[in-house]
Formats: sequence, C-alpha cells, structure tokens
Amino acid sequence: MAEHLARISPVTDLGMIALRGDLAAIADAAGMAAPDRTGIATDGPRSLAWMSPDEALLILPAPQTPEAVEALTLALDGQHALVADVSDARAVFDVIGPGAADVIAKLAPVDAAAMPQGHLRRTRMAQVATAIWRIEGGFRVIGFRSTGDYLGLILRNAAIAGSGLAPR
Amino acid sequence: MLILTCPHCGIQAEETELHNGGEAHLKRVGPDGSDEEFEGYMFARRNPRGVHLERWRHAYGCGKWFIAARCTVTLQVFGTYAAQTTTPPDHIVQAVRAARPDWNPTEEGASE
Amino acid sequence: MPDTARSGRYSVFAIAREALRQHKGWNRAWASPEPRDRYKVIVVGAGGHGLATAYYLGKNFGITDVAVLDKGWLGGGNTGRNTTIIRSNYLQDPSAAIYDKALKLYEGLSQDLNYNVMFSPRGLIMLAQTEHEVRGYKRTVYANNLQGVSTEWIDAQRLKELVPIINIDGPRYPVLGGLYQERGGTARHDAVAWGYARACSDMGMHIIQNCEVTGVETEGGQVRAVNTSKGRIGCEKLAMVVAGHSSQLAEMAGFRLPIESVALQALVSEPIKPCMDVVVMANTVHGYLSQSDKGEMVIGGGTDHFNNFTQRGSWHHVEETVRALVETFPMIGRLKMLRQWGGIVDMTGDRSPILSTTPVGGVFVNCGWGTGGFKAIPGSGWAMAELVAKGRPGPLAADFGLDRFREGRFIDESVAAGVAH
Repeated sequence: MAEHLARISPVTDLGMIALRGDLAAIADAAGMAAPDRTGIATDGPRSLAWMSPDEALLILPAPQTPEAVEALTLALDGQHALVADVSDARAVFDVIGPGAADVIAKLAPVDAAAMPQGHLRRTRMAQVATAIWRIEGGFRVIGFRSTGDYLGLILRNAAIAGSGLAPR
Repeated sequence: MLILTCPHCGIQAEETELHNGGEAHLKRVGPDGSDEEFEGYMFARRNPRGVHLERWRHAYGCGKWFIAARCTVTLQVFGTYAAQTTTPPDHIVQAVRAARPDWNPTEEGASE
Repeated sequence: MPDTARSGRYSVFAIAREALRQHKGWNRAWASPEPRDRYKVIVVGAGGHGLATAYYLGKNFGITDVAVLDKGWLGGGNTGRNTTIIRSNYLQDPSAAIYDKALKLYEGLSQDLNYNVMFSPRGLIMLAQTEHEVRGYKRTVYANNLQGVSTEWIDAQRLKELVPIINIDGPRYPVLGGLYQERGGTARHDAVAWGYARACSDMGMHIIQNCEVTGVETEGGQVRAVNTSKGRIGCEKLAMVVAGHSSQLAEMAGFRLPIESVALQALVSEPIKPCMDVVVMANTVHGYLSQSDKGEMVIGGGTDHFNNFTQRGSWHHVEETVRALVETFPMIGRLKMLRQWGGIVDMTGDRSPILSTTPVGGVFVNCGWGTGGFKAIPGSGWAMAELVAKGRPGPLAADFGLDRFREGRFIDESVAAGVAH
C-alpha cells in the first residue's frame, strides 16, 4: 500500500514569545525585520510572525527563550507592550511529505496547496485553533498544548496512507 | 457557507472561523438612560429581511472585531470594515447601493 | 364543489358510506373563500399557532368572525419544517404550564378536531452526556415533579433498554443517563395544521392562502385594517403569529421586537425498519433523533449563528450534528440522507416565547418560540385566543409579555432549550 501522505512529528525544542504592542517597535526590539501582514519573517534560527495588528510571535530555539524575554522586556521598557513566554502553552507539529498539503486541507478551511512561503495562516483544524506556515518539505502547525493530543491525533489520522484528495 | 474578508488581516475567512456578534452600530445606553432606552439598546433589533450591518469577530484568526454588510435573504456580502467606526463608510454604502439602490444607511442609526 | 361546504364528520361510518359510492362524497377539508371587507379578528399566519389561535377563539370564546391569512400555503412555514417533537419538561414554572397545557391538549386533539393528528406519546429522552448535564437534568426532574409534570431521571442501563441502538460508552460523548418524559413523543406536523384548518373552516372562519400582508393600518394608535396582496381587509383585532418573520410584521405596525431570525436545520434519512420507538435528544452535540411512522430517521440539527432568512442552513452544521450522532447511534452511519432543509426561527434573549399585547391597540403578538414551537401549538393557540378575546393575557400567557424584557423578568430556558428545544 501507499506511503502515508506525510510524516507527522512533534517539535519540542521551540520557544515562543508573544509580543503585543506597536509592531514596528516590537520588531525593532527583537532586532528583526517587521513581518508583513499575515507574514512570517525568518532570520537564522529565529522567526517573527504577524499574529494580529497588535500582536507578533517570536519563535526561537528553546534554550534562547529566557534570555530573549529579558532582552525584549528591557528593550520595550516604558512602552505600552506585553512580553510573555508562551512556550509551554503550545504544541507544535511538522507535517512533512508529498501529501502534506492534503493533510492540512482536510482539517482546515484553507487552500494549503496555494499557501505562499512566508505566510502564516491562523485558522482552525477540525475544532481547535492553530497557525500554519510553510517549512522545507511541508508545513509547521502550532496549536495549544491543552489540545495538543487531539491535534496530533487528527493530523496522523488525516495522513493515513491512501487517503489523498486527488481522484483515484 | 458564508465567506467574509477580515479587514484587519485580509484573510478570506469562512463562517466556522468567525463568531457573529449581532447588529452593529448600536448606541450604548448608560446609567442615565430610561428603562425604555435601555430595553431598546439591549433587546430591540432591526432583524431586517435584507441588508444587515452586523458585527463579526475573526475568532480563529487575528481575533479582531469587524463589521460586515450582508443581505440576510441572499447572503450576498457587500463588504467589511473595521469595527472602530460609528457609521458605515462611503465605499460600503456605495457597494450596497450598487445592488440595492433604495437602501438608506441613515436608517441604520434608528435603533438608538 | 361550493367553497363554503362543511367538510363532514370523519368516522368509520363515513368511510363505509363512501366506500359504497366510489369515494365521491368527500368534501374539501377546508374552504378557500375570497376575503370579505372586514372581520372581527384577523390572524396573520396560517401555521399551527395561527390556526390554533383561530380555533380556540371559536371554540372557547364563540368568536368565529375570523380570517386567517397566509402569504404562502397553509402550514408551509415552520409547521411543515420541524422535527415534530412534543414534550413539556421545561425548567421554569411558566414554561412548564404552557407546554404541559399543550401536551394535554395534544393527547385529546385527534378526538377534539375529529382529525387524526397521529399523536404518538412514545416517550422522550434527553441524553446527559456531561456531568454538567447530569446535574442540570436532575434539577429539571425535581422542578417538573413540583410543577406536576411527570418526568424522571433514568440511568444509562435503563436508557439502553429503552433505546437498544444507542452506544452508551462512546469515547467522546458517553451517555451518563437521561431525562425521561414518558408522555412526550411526536405528532404528524402537517396533520396538526390541516386538522385545525378544517375545524376552523367548519366553524365558518376564512382561511385565505396566498394572501401576503403588506401593511398595517392604524388610527389613533388602534389597528383598523391590514393591506394585503388581495386588498385592504378591515379588522377590530389583529393577531400576528408569523414565526420567523415577526420582526417584519411588527415593523409594519410600527414597533420592534426583541427577536432575531436564524435558520434551523433538519434532515431525514431513507426509510428503514422500526428500530427506535422513543425520541432521543442529545443537546450537548446539537442533535436529536426520532423515527417517523414511514421509517425515516428524522434528525434535527443546530442553528446558524447569524441572522438569516434563506430557509437553508449552513452545511457545516449538518456535519457537526451527524458527526456526533454517528458516535451515539453507530448504525446511522450506514444510512443515506434523503433531504435536508431549513426553517427560519424567532430567537428571543431568554429563549422563551412572547405572547403579548403591543404598543398598538388591538394588535397582539405570538412569536419567539425559537427552535421548539411545534410542541406548543395547542397551548399557544389556547393562550393566544384568550389574550385576543379578552384583550389581556390569561394565566398561561401572563408571564410571556413583552414587558418582561424591560423589567428583567426573564424566563430563562437557555439550558432547557439549548439549541434543541
């Protein structure tokens, strides 16, 4: 029988910092380019994602997180801004494989195949909130840790061999 | 399936990613209002068969509120705009009138 | 055939008589007259509630100078679109009173109307699938027993005996027990409208279909007439009984209602052999299920969460309802669905109906039954007839006035009603 549509693997070594306030000031403080609307800008091991008109998410290797929180808090001192380490509140999965777009499309009301590089789509997968963006060979999906088991289950279920969306 | 474009993030979101917040442009009645005014603000709704200006929240997306101009009979969407406005903007009024020439946006304030 | 003919009494003798003359002697069940210039009472809306209002105006108050107008065909709105469930297990006293009055009237309705409405008191169970629901329904049982409405709490084993096709230990929606009303059940929805229509017509009332009301004429704050697609028709009193479009009619009379209209969906499967002889409601998952006399599995779904007059529902609600029901009733996973439809329901803030006088003299409103008006038809008509005849509400309607919204006297049935009334 055919291969699974994609390999679903949990990612556990990422840190995430939620940043609210003026996005230009936040990007400045993070030392990164400000992402476009619904964009995600990557610079080396760090990515800065546009989450809403007043919210960004800094994604970075987990060990760098405490230091980054400290630096950002210092840099944004005196401004109306929020810096919160949300790493432990998140569950992350990589969906890698030739059928990765099918896996996403089955679960989210998103045309995954047409999703451009550098775009972050906040949406739902089945019944839980997620954000999705392209990585090498597929997609990265983040959700809430409280629904992480469910998210892993539905992703693996959607990737079952022989369940591709193309007409057979 | 209803599809609305969130004016804050530009995403074409479908109904299941959105949360409806009811009639838009209601004028809040505070502690100084009479019982009748407060009742009107809380409960009396236009509930039109036709063009409806209504609040939506992009719940599974950027989380922001916006307002949609939509027909409740045909589900035609005339446009969306940010919630931080007290009256429908000109481009929305024009878009509605292109399809419904008789539509009168000043009636929208009548629910005060 | 003259349009004013009485329909004649239905009986075994009538069947025998007609059998001997090739069934040529049956009259029309109701007449289709042209409207007169004026009536004492005009009821707008020839659905179950409107026709029942007219019927009890004649039966209880001797008022037969009545016209029932409908913009479409008789019983073509929500009366013909609901899932025919009848129950009276509500939490609040005013609700239990009017819904139980309706249930008691349903019990004798076929005899009363001389028309078989196929009332089937097959029993009704509301599933408790969360601890929250267990507590909620036990509370309702206590309340019902104090109200004189017989309901009981049953455990999952008893429930399984009553509903053999149910899966009580589903992983996501386990069945922890249920609220059981043995007197609850179903009736043939069309027949309820037809039976009332026939009885009204036999009393000399006019049922005028394809007659859309386009305006309400008032003078000095008092109703004088309605303008319709068949011309102006004068009246002393006007009863608005037009679920789904109550706001539109109220606007014609110059007032607003605390109502929003949304689409509620239902679907029905291919007919299968008898497999379930009770009505089961699963309010956590927004689904309810019963088997019709024809064998179809009748499934009620959720409401769209936005104002909507399309009489269609959003597709994802079907998916949500069926996804949950398939776990609780695994056998329906093999069924083909034949039809899916929607109806426009009036929603009030407290999920309770409105039976009320209005700011316009002589105008009375009956609306806001939300997703569950069918079960209330006889009680609603009974209470509305008293309101219209006397000009003030009787004991059944007293708590359902419009003034409750101003005064904060809500009759909160959002739990008892859920989405699935």
